[in-house]
Amino acid sequence: MSTSQTIRSVVIVGGGTAGWLTAAIVAAEHRGNSDQRKDTESLISVTLIESPEISTIGVGEGTWPSMRTTLKKIGISETELFRECDASFKQGTLFRRWRNGKDDIYTHPFTVPHGYENTNLAPHWQLFREKVDFAQAVSSQNSLMLAGLAPKQIVTPEYGFHVNYGYHLDAVKFAKLLQKHCVEKLGVIHHSAKVVQVNSDSDNYIVSLDTDVDTTVSGDLFVDASGSRSLLLGKHYGIAFHSKKQFLFNDTGLASQVPYVNEDDPIASSTLSTAQKNGWIWDIGLPSRRGIGHVYSSSHTTEERATEELLNYIADTISPQTAAKTSVRKVNFEPGHRAEFWHKNCVAVGMSAGFIEPLEASALVLVELSAAMISEQLPENRHVMKIIAKRFNQKFLYRWERIIDFLKLHYILTQRNDSDYWKDNQMTDSIPFSIAEALDLWKWQSPWHQDTMRADEMFPSASYQYILYGMNFETKQCTERSSSRNGSLASKRLFLENIQRTEMLVSSMPTNRILIDKIKAYGLQKI
Amino acid sequence: MSNFVVLNNQEHRHINIITDRSLEYGDGVMHAMTFPMEFRDIQSCYPIFFCKDPDSGQFYPAALFGLEKGENLFLTDSGWDASYIPMMVRRHPFLIGFQNDESYPEGKKPVVSIDLDHPRVSNVGGEILFSENGGSSDYLKQSMVLLESIHQGHEQNKVLIEMLLEHSLLEEFAVEVTLRDGSLKRLSGFYTIAEENLYALSGDVLGALNEKGFLQAIFMAVASLSRLRPLVEKKTVIIS
Repeated sequence: MSTSQTIRSVVIVGGGTAGWLTAAIVAAEHRGNSDQRKDTESLISVTLIESPEISTIGVGEGTWPSMRTTLKKIGISETELFRECDASFKQGTLFRRWRNGKDDIYTHPFTVPHGYENTNLAPHWQLFREKVDFAQAVSSQNSLMLAGLAPKQIVTPEYGFHVNYGYHLDAVKFAKLLQKHCVEKLGVIHHSAKVVQVNSDSDNYIVSLDTDVDTTVSGDLFVDASGSRSLLLGKHYGIAFHSKKQFLFNDTGLASQVPYVNEDDPIASSTLSTAQKNGWIWDIGLPSRRGIGHVYSSSHTTEERATEELLNYIADTISPQTAAKTSVRKVNFEPGHRAEFWHKNCVAVGMSAGFIEPLEASALVLVELSAAMISEQLPENRHVMKIIAKRFNQKFLYRWERIIDFLKLHYILTQRNDSDYWKDNQMTDSIPFSIAEALDLWKWQSPWHQDTMRADEMFPSASYQYILYGMNFETKQCTERSSSRNGSLASKRLFLENIQRTEMLVSSMPTNRILIDKIKAYGLQKI
Repeated sequence: MSNFVVLNNQEHRHINIITDRSLEYGDGVMHAMTFPMEFRDIQSCYPIFFCKDPDSGQFYPAALFGLEKGENLFLTDSGWDASYIPMMVRRHPFLIGFQNDESYPEGKKPVVSIDLDHPRVSNVGGEILFSENGGSSDYLKQSMVLLESIHQGHEQNKVLIEMLLEHSLLEEFAVEVTLRDGSLKRLSGFYTIAEENLYALSGDVLGALNEKGFLQAIFMAVASLSRLRPLVEKKTVIIS
């Protein structure tokens, strides 16, 4: 077998959101829509093998704003998404009880602070920190999130917005929509079969997969989207798994689906994250139900205790009757990721690459980023694949490190000490050096553009600002110094503009529920 | 607030309708919906734009009368200064309501309704609705014909918009005008015919548009844009 073998076919193992999203992204770029496709012979072929026995795990119900671009690229209309995936708008995360465990609340909106490009408002806000919350002072999205309002109107074209947004969606329905689109529009070949054997060549590259329906699927590049089983990268190649439990303790999820009391109850436009004694509870509002779950550290509490906290939350926020009827599904996971993600001609996407608690909904965005790089950099042959694999591994190891840093930040800044969980979270040896060092710096200056090390950083410096100042972190930045740098006149103007824009938006945006109902009835215009 | 009721010749026989044009009778509007069947008349006076219904986001064609909300630059002390007044302006205070009736298409029976709170509704002066013996007046008969046309116009608009969108024939048009005093007026939310795409249409599509009677309408909408300049000039005269 020649090492210059060309790459003409991509085979994906696994039919969850990770697998179908990757199939769609690769096929949309390399095959295009069937309406315009001409010479199919010369195109890259995309095949997805899905085991009919294995149910997809319903994680990742929150997306980042990047999903809008991804959907547009793969050719799924936003109207379709709302009609078929029980989708709603997500404008960020609303954190409760993370600071002191009592009544504290702050938001991490998707929209960066007003005027962020040219002016860093954080040092100027420090002067008024007792009077106004950071997110409220710098972003009009905070008010919309607190009021459950939509990020756009029915006259706003699809994917367009007044304030930035992503989605909450039913992941199982989303995978189905992607499947339909992949097969009907993008020419993806779908095999419903279980992979029973991996066949390799003398260089230990995978050449084909035997399935339980007597077919053998051969390919040039194999995407492992088999979930935590990690069939190809983990099982076949034996790539080591790096646990990150020393930094992020949560390893168990208790998930439930809870109906609204009334059909037209408000739909939250943020993921609600409420800190508990030994973890936190997510609350994701879809049009037809809420997805509520408790993610916690099994080293710090028991399943019984965690279930009780979850049911108490449901009783408090919905009703005791609903709590009594709620059934809970348990998911264990080891927080961490593989030592590398692309090995030989196999690349892992989704949970087969790694998994960490869904605190900032990083699961689906990692799939989008992985698939985008695989697609854009689809190697011409095995020779260049080695270089691309090396770069892919460097890039995604860096991304995992930043995700861990950013998630850990939420825990370090707390004043909670009502359990060992919160105390242990602040122990020095549980804090990655990179984030500890950055925090040392941010005591004296607030994060801004120079804190963004890479052009394609997942969390921009603005996100760090929202968490730091949302958690009441103090930066002892000398304002004279900062005002000479950034101009206090400019900051005054920006604060004022933000107030006006907030008033305008609060009075003109519909509620999440009203807009979603309208989209279902009329659809969103493309222009 | 409007107060629509089904019109009948008993309760409403003493009602008169004022047909003068002025602010006090509700003519202070920036634009009004229009229909392909009147595009030829409309374009001789007003620019035709496409805008979205704020409630549904659905497009509809509209004749433009002013450059800001509530402004109608055609209104003068002596009435509406134009040779043609759009159907949707003339229809007031009537509209077609629908009653449930299985013998009609989609189970809806169209009925003439009147907005009793409309400033045009009066007891003195204006046009009468019914004669002494309860028969419809000429004015009412004309109004009913008008309502019937409007009803058809709505159906036509639906098909027109569908075809325009299907062939990417609408594009956003940022109306940005500099008035003579130097001030800048910016209107957003308006769309026009995407001329580049129009001229690139295949014969088949042009044929299909023509068959529906929309080809002329589309070119009337294109031609109507030259009415924007006189509108801006009216505005300038008013502020100077």
